[in-house]
Amino acid sequence: MDTFLAALFSGTSRGAIFALVALGLVIVWRGAGIVNFAQMGQAMFSTYIASTLIINGNSYWVGFIAALLSGAALGAILDILVMRPLSNKKKTELLSSESMRAAVPVLASLGILGVLQALAGIIWAAEERGFPAPAKQEGFVVAGSAMPFTAFDLFVIASVTVTLILTTLFFKKTSMGLAMRATALNQEVAKLSGIRTNMTRTLSWAISGAASSLAGLLLTPSSNLSPSTLDLALLIGFTAAVVGGLDSPAGAVLGGFIIGMVISFVTFYDTPEDVFLAILAVLLLALIIRPRGLLGSKDARRV
Amino acid sequence: MLKIENLVTSFGSVIALDGVSLSAQDSKITTVIGANGAGKSTLLRTISGLEHPSSGTITWQGESIVGRRPEDIVRMGIAHVPEGHAVIAELSVEENIAMGSLFRRRKFKSDISVAIDEVYTLFPRLNERRKQLAGTLSGGERQMLAISRALVSRPKLLLLDEPSLGLAPLVVEQIIDSVNTLCRSTGLTVLLVEQNANTALGVADHGVLLALGKVVADRPAAELKADATLRAAYLGY
Repeated sequence: MDTFLAALFSGTSRGAIFALVALGLVIVWRGAGIVNFAQMGQAMFSTYIASTLIINGNSYWVGFIAALLSGAALGAILDILVMRPLSNKKKTELLSSESMRAAVPVLASLGILGVLQALAGIIWAAEERGFPAPAKQEGFVVAGSAMPFTAFDLFVIASVTVTLILTTLFFKKTSMGLAMRATALNQEVAKLSGIRTNMTRTLSWAISGAASSLAGLLLTPSSNLSPSTLDLALLIGFTAAVVGGLDSPAGAVLGGFIIGMVISFVTFYDTPEDVFLAILAVLLLALIIRPRGLLGSKDARRV
Repeated sequence: MLKIENLVTSFGSVIALDGVSLSAQDSKITTVIGANGAGKSTLLRTISGLEHPSSGTITWQGESIVGRRPEDIVRMGIAHVPEGHAVIAELSVEENIAMGSLFRRRKFKSDISVAIDEVYTLFPRLNERRKQLAGTLSGGERQMLAISRALVSRPKLLLLDEPSLGLAPLVVEQIIDSVNTLCRSTGLTVLLVEQNANTALGVADHGVLLALGKVVADRPAAELKADATLRAAYLGY
């Protein structure tokens, strides 16, 4: 029973983080039609910025805010410098086929990932460094015994919940949110309505960048920080997004929690070595049984 | 006034518009008729900036609009309602309408609600369905919604692409009547593309007949309507 509770709590906390990673992927997929494989590379980069600030004597919160802002800025810059020129390119001989044109931005995102990892290696050296958590990572003590739930877990769940509520309100209640949803659903009608779709696309890269930077901040205290630390998180987040539905923000959250539970239960009841295998199995199963995801719409998959 | 001269738009080796010249007079309804594939939709899509012409000019109120983006062309007072009842099915009626006025929210904030009330008065059925998703509407209601989305941008020129497509005659009449009333009462300029030539010529002031990307006739609508030879040759009835 204790193991079960521990797995459940740990799954909730991990699930929350992967929900965030998946949400970042979904926002860019909906807003720009690209699976952004560079996402956690961006998060790694902004986490390094936070780490550098904290090591140099600033408080955790200065680093926290700097990571979110630099994550948003980096996302916006990548869209403006790389993705926008690619998508605005007229049909050329090379890019004449529809599938090629869909593949090019994805390949570009892999390229960006490589560049970011190499840059981080050059700037911050490639060895692992620790990253602080803003709250205790030891279990709460109730009646003399340690519970499987830590203050940091609480912080993770609270910050992810706040982020999810804020993004939902933003998309549902604000003019810019409506403009972004319209662009995601039908770019032509959005343009004809006067919406500046280039700007809404860039904004989706920025929001996704900030969300995944938060995920980076929440993941690194338990795994240390190196240029490739967050690679696995991308695979897990991608699996979560596929399980939930790449075009559904609610699906991303659901997928995140499902994957969090899978990882946690495999870790507690089997062995941590099998986690990677379990994720790949879930990804394959999801693609075979329900390729559009639990909450995804019918023709969502193009990549 | 909208003035188009020698407009050429092609897709690869297919020439959709082959040197089209025509104009749309202020506060009048000009209709462009022609069979399927005549280039009618391409004409509107080139005006609104969705397609780029390879040569020719489009002048709106004395200013060239070739090469501008659709987002900027809307801001100049040209609203395009594309073919196929173009609404966003996953958004509510209210949201679809609000979408059309988003770009005015800073400069014309106070006028937005006035413009929205006006379209609900024009199409009361949409008012009853404000909260419904656009995907649940009937074809006629969707067309009304698409027109409303365009109208809240306060256009001076409305580009309407086949509003009658797939709709029952009674609904077509209702929609065309609304557009006609609007044009006569507010001075809106309309460029109406239709395959349904009789309906379009019945309401329009001027008619342009398009065939395989070229203008074959450009005359007052009543004259064009009376010309049985042209009708038989190009529209097949």
